[in-house]
Amino acid sequence: MANSLGFQGDGGSVLSMEHVRSLTDLQDLKEAYERLCAEEKDVESELLTLLGQQTIVEKKMLALQRMGPNLQLIEGDAQQLSGMITFTCNLAENVSSKVRQLDLAKSRLYQAIQRADDILDLKFCMDGVQTAMKNEDYEQAAAHIHRYLCLDKSVIELSRQGKEGNIIEANLHHLQEAEQHLKVVVSEKFDAATKSGDLPQVERFFKIFPLLGLHEEGISKFSGYLCKQVAKKAEENLQLALGTEGGERRAALIFADTLTLLFEGIARIVETHQPILETYYGPGRLYMLIKHLQAECDRQVEKVVDKFVQHRDYHRKFQQVQSCMMRGSSTDKIEPRDLDPILSEVTLMSARTELYLRFIKRRVVSDFEVGDSMATEEVKQEHLQNLDKLIKHCLLSCSVQELIGYYITMEEFYMRESVNKAVAMDTCERGQLISSMVDDVFYIVKKCIGRALSSSSIDCLCAMINLSTTMLESDFREVLCNKLRMGFPATTFQDIQRGVTSAVNLMQSSLQQGKFDTKGIESNDEAKMSFLVSLNNVEVCSENIMTLKKNLENDCNKMFSQGLGGEQAKAKIDSCLSDMASVSNKFKDLLQEGLGELNSTAVKPQVKPWINLFLSVSHNIEEEEFNDYEANDPWVQQFIVNLEQLMAEFKAGLSSVIYENLTSLLTSLIAMELEKVVLKSTFSRLGGLQFDKELRSLIAYLTTVTTWTIRDKFARLTQMATILNLERVTEILDYWGPNSGPLTWRLTPAEVRQVLALRIDFRSEDIKRLRL
Amino acid sequence: MQNLQVAPVSRSRIISNMPKPYTPEACHQYQTQFDAEVQTVCQQRNAGAIGLKMSKAVMVGDLYVGKTSLINRFCKNVFDRDYKATIGVDFEIERFEILGIPFNFQIWDTAGQEKFKCIASAYYRGAQVIITAFDLGDISTLENTRRWVQDALKENEPDTCSIFLVGTKKDTLSEAELERTEQDAVRLAIDLQAEYWSVSAKTGENVKEFFFRVASLAFEQSMKKELEKNRGNTAQIGVGNLIQLDGNSSDKRENETQLNMNCC
Ligand SMILES: Nc1nc2c(ncn2[C@@H]2O[C@H](COP(=O)(O)OP(=O)(O)O)[C@@H](O)[C@H]2O)c(=O)[nH]1
Ligand SMILES: [Mg+2]
Repeated sequence: MANSLGFQGDGGSVLSMEHVRSLTDLQDLKEAYERLCAEEKDVESELLTLLGQQTIVEKKMLALQRMGPNLQLIEGDAQQLSGMITFTCNLAENVSSKVRQLDLAKSRLYQAIQRADDILDLKFCMDGVQTAMKNEDYEQAAAHIHRYLCLDKSVIELSRQGKEGNIIEANLHHLQEAEQHLKVVVSEKFDAATKSGDLPQVERFFKIFPLLGLHEEGISKFSGYLCKQVAKKAEENLQLALGTEGGERRAALIFADTLTLLFEGIARIVETHQPILETYYGPGRLYMLIKHLQAECDRQVEKVVDKFVQHRDYHRKFQQVQSCMMRGSSTDKIEPRDLDPILSEVTLMSARTELYLRFIKRRVVSDFEVGDSMATEEVKQEHLQNLDKLIKHCLLSCSVQELIGYYITMEEFYMRESVNKAVAMDTCERGQLISSMVDDVFYIVKKCIGRALSSSSIDCLCAMINLSTTMLESDFREVLCNKLRMGFPATTFQDIQRGVTSAVNLMQSSLQQGKFDTKGIESNDEAKMSFLVSLNNVEVCSENIMTLKKNLENDCNKMFSQGLGGEQAKAKIDSCLSDMASVSNKFKDLLQEGLGELNSTAVKPQVKPWINLFLSVSHNIEEEEFNDYEANDPWVQQFIVNLEQLMAEFKAGLSSVIYENLTSLLTSLIAMELEKVVLKSTFSRLGGLQFDKELRSLIAYLTTVTTWTIRDKFARLTQMATILNLERVTEILDYWGPNSGPLTWRLTPAEVRQVLALRIDFRSEDIKRLRL
Repeated sequence: MQNLQVAPVSRSRIISNMPKPYTPEACHQYQTQFDAEVQTVCQQRNAGAIGLKMSKAVMVGDLYVGKTSLINRFCKNVFDRDYKATIGVDFEIERFEILGIPFNFQIWDTAGQEKFKCIASAYYRGAQVIITAFDLGDISTLENTRRWVQDALKENEPDTCSIFLVGTKKDTLSEAELERTEQDAVRLAIDLQAEYWSVSAKTGENVKEFFFRVASLAFEQSMKKELEKNRGNTAQIGVGNLIQLDGNSSDKRENETQLNMNCC
């Protein structure tokens, strides 16, 4: 027992020996015994399963024993394979290193051949140069020098170190001497050719410079030659121009033409010589040539401009104009028409300049595009900036800008003087709603801006747009403003009653004469006409400005599509044109002011009394009176006749748009005033019916005189008529609140009560009791 | 221009607080915030309902004082030592966003030379801002600013332009010299009712601050003007149907009115 317990203890029983030994209580012992028995059972069943597996384990062992010899075989094979791989690897390593060596050898060989070639070349050059020079075959000599210059410097060093070092050294020395000599000779020969004007020789030596690495010198010398030609031709042209007789066809444009010839000459030179330059000097060098040519161009332009200023008396004319503008009137007043020729000539000079500069820019930019195709963005930008600077700041640009500056002042003078004249000679032709000055002024403005546009200079155009805008906005608007300020003379009721409006008479009679003088207005009727014409003028002005703006936009787009001006130019134009639109609006504002004035001085004082007559017609009537009214209309028919007469004058004298505006003001006025008198009247049932009839007649009439809807304006009155027509007070409920259907009440409940109270037959208790 | 409107405004051109003046002695206003009403309007219209706002500034002053350099420093952040006189007029548009509203600020750079003045002066009209520049190191150019301002004002309606007097080439002066010149300049600025600034295009000192200030004041002014105008309009509409000439609005109500009539 002790033993078995001891075994169990070793086996890891739940109960240790010590524990069991320490047990003294029977109950405890029993418990321990039971637990040990249960444990034993478990162990037994475990043992049984393990024994059950014994056969399987044995089978596996057998199989493993059989595998033993095979494993030995595999191990041998693997060792063999590994040996083979190592061998192959070494072999490959060997082969590839040999190939590498071969490669190296080959490239060294090539280098050696190259170097040998170079050395041979060098020798060949050394010999060749001498012979070529002796034979005056400069192209050949230069080709040799070029080859020499292209050689790797290390080759030359190497050659020196060779066995024949000394000889080579001497030869090299010769070669360098030859190079220097050739440079001198070519330069001399070129100069000689230049002097004798021998173009083939000039071109011959021009092509040699780049071979000697003398690109800049070549271009500079060649440009010198070209410049001389430009100068000679320009001189001749200028002399010819100065000899022109005044009567000749283009005498008035002779300086512009001379400038044109100069530009065409330079353009032709660029066209002719650009291919040679590109072929022998490579792309990207045109800028250098142009820079030289531009310097000559500037010199010649200066002469032409000087002569122009001198012969055309340009500065004196400018000063004269300036003093005229400052002092207003002066003794030696200039006739604007006399300025036409010079203004045209200056703008033509500017246009030719812009065209020429655009040509130059396009050519150089596309040359840079090829030349700088591999260059960094920085270099590209720098090149383009240099070009821009050249074009913007060359003397040609400055001179023309200066001429344009004076031109602008003269053009402004031309415009202002012509406009003043147009205003002074203003008349109103037969059948015209507007007077002559509007068309005249816009004709002038168009002409002046058009001339500025023809200069192709954006700055010039913008300046002229601005000056025109200022003139229209301040001066011309002021003229119209002043006419309107004189007002529409108020006419008394009697004046109108005297028969068909006398202004219509006057208009007809003056139309028979064909004209109507807008100045020196004496009679009331003339003053009326003048006011109406001015209103029309203002409206047409605002429209004309918008048309002008639209046309200018089109013109400018055309100009931009031809490549003139850049982003900045567009923004400039946009800015100036938008300013123009705001001036158009100022004319619109003036029109509204004038209309308001007309309404309050001519319409309102007349219409109000006519409406007030309503009060003298009783609407507290019975059957008899109602029938009597039917036969002899007491108010509305006469009112309509009066209105018709009043408006006939305006209809004849105002443009349809303004007339529409005025009738709209009129209908609003009628609605408002009528409402007032209705609220002051009292009505019987039939009186309400009478009012309803009257209102319908009035609305029907007013609908025929305006194309705009007037029903809206009469909505409140119409609703009042509805109320005044009710049988009983409570009948209103058929139209009110949930019963209103599509009807929107414009009257407040309080107003409805107020109108109901106008009916004498409605009891105020009923009205008070009404729930609205 | 249309392209300009579409592209977003550069982040470095966004202004949400009123920039400070250079010196309280000569400035247009001391407020440290934009006008309250303008702020409210801008907030309400943030959605972009308003059209593009823009103002025009012209730069005037003697030849060689550094007008072009100042503009180039601000607009292109470059400084060119080489001097090239401006010929005719140059033009830049700077796009700001102020209080959330896009704002195009046009700067017209004019030539200082007498011979180009005729053409340059044609561009003064319609300017909300006149910037007149002088060389802090050349006192005679300061005196001439008076005439430049007069010339520019002449082409504009009275009380529509705000004037800025700018001393340039601040870097070329010592503290003491600067102080002396600034005293004179401030006095003149007060006289011209101009706001005074000292800047250097070379070092960039105060350049951004200056243009931000000018743009902000110009923006505020133009917003106020618009508010004023709208107030005027509403007042007119208030007078009643009398002056209401808007064709559309009455057309719109036609249907409704016809129903009205049928009912009666
Ligand atoms: N040291 C210094 N030189 C300046 C400054 N601004 C301009 N300049 C130089 O002054 C000369 C004239 O400048 P510019 O802007 O063309 O004058 P503008 O005729 O008024 O347009 C140029 O040579 C500039 O380099 C400046 O802030 N500091
Ligand atoms: Mg400048």
